[in-house]
Amino acid sequence: MVPQLSWYLALSAVLFTIGVVGVMIKRNVISMFMCIELMLNAVNLTFVAFSSFFRDLSGQLFVFIVMTVAAAEAAVGLGIIIAVFRNRESLDVDDASSLKL
Amino acid sequence: MLALLFILFAGLAIGCAVSMVVQRNPLYSAISLIGVFIALACLYVTLAAPFIAAVQVIVYAGAIMVLVVFVIMLLNVEDEERRPLRLRSLIPIAVMLAAALFAEAVFIIFFVQANPKTPAHTVSDIGMTSSIGGGLFTTYLLPFEITSILLLMAIVGAITLARTGGLLSPRAVVVPGAQVFAREMLDREKYIDDLTPVTTHSTEEAEKLLGLEHKDQSPKT
Repeated sequence: MVPQLSWYLALSAVLFTIGVVGVMIKRNVISMFMCIELMLNAVNLTFVAFSSFFRDLSGQLFVFIVMTVAAAEAAVGLGIIIAVFRNRESLDVDDASSLKL
Repeated sequence: MLALLFILFAGLAIGCAVSMVVQRNPLYSAISLIGVFIALACLYVTLAAPFIAAVQVIVYAGAIMVLVVFVIMLLNVEDEERRPLRLRSLIPIAVMLAAALFAEAVFIIFFVQANPKTPAHTVSDIGMTSSIGGGLFTTYLLPFEITSILLLMAIVGAITLARTGGLLSPRAVVVPGAQVFAREMLDREKYIDDLTPVTTHSTEEAEKLLGLEHKDQSPKT
C-alpha cells in the first residue's frame, strides 16, 4: 500500500492544529515561538507533498523560501525576545501587555 | 513499505508535537521540536525530496533550534506554572465549532471524488539538487534575490535588537586623551536615550560630572 496524498495532507493538518493549540495555551514567548515554527513546518509538508505528487518543482522551491523566512524570523524574533527579557525580566506574554488598551 | 515508513514517521512527528505542547519546560519543548523536524525530514525523503530533507535537518534542526536552545539557556527560563483557565464559558462553543470543522474535513475526505488523474508516485528528477538549483536560478531568480535582501534585513535587525544599548551615538567622535560620556549617563532623568557625547579631559572632571566621590581620599602630593 502506497501512501496517498490525503495522508500527508491530514498529517500536515494535525501538526498545524497542534501548533495553533500551542500558541493559544502557551504563556512563554519561546514556547509560542516554537509552536509557530511547527506551523511553518506543517505547511512545508503540504508543499512538498503536492510538489511530489504533482511532479511540480515550484512547491519545493517555495519550501526553500519558507525556510529562509523562518530563519530570518528566528533571528529577529529571538532578538526581540532578548530585548523584552532585558526590559521586563520575564518571558511571560502576560507581562508584556503595554500595548493593550 | 512506504506506508509503514509513513505511519512510523507520522506517529513520531505527532507524538513529538504533542509532547512539545504538553511540556512545561521550554528546553524539553525544544528537544521535542527537534524530533518533529527530524521526522518531517524522513517524510521528505519518502516523498522523493532529498534536498529539502537535507536542508530541513541543516537549517531547522541545526541552525534555528541551536539558536532557540541558546536563547533558552542564556535567559535561564523557568518552568511555566499552571494557571486557571480563562473564558471557561466558551468551551462548549469551541467544542461545537471544532466538531463542525472536523465533520467538514471528514466529508471532504470521504465524499468528494479524488482527482483520478493524480500521477503515480514514480521516480523523477524533481527534488534532486540540480533541478532545485536550476529552478532557483532561472524561473525563481527574483524571489531568490528578494530572499537574500530579507536575510540581510534580518541580520541588521537582529544586531540592532540584541545589542546592549550602545553608550555612544554613531556620530560620536572620541578625542584622543579625552574621556567621553553619553549625556544619558550624566543625567538619567533629563536625557533619556540621549547619547550625545560629553567630553572631559581629566579623571577629576569626569568624576565630578558623574557625581562620583573618591572613596579613598588619599591626598596627592
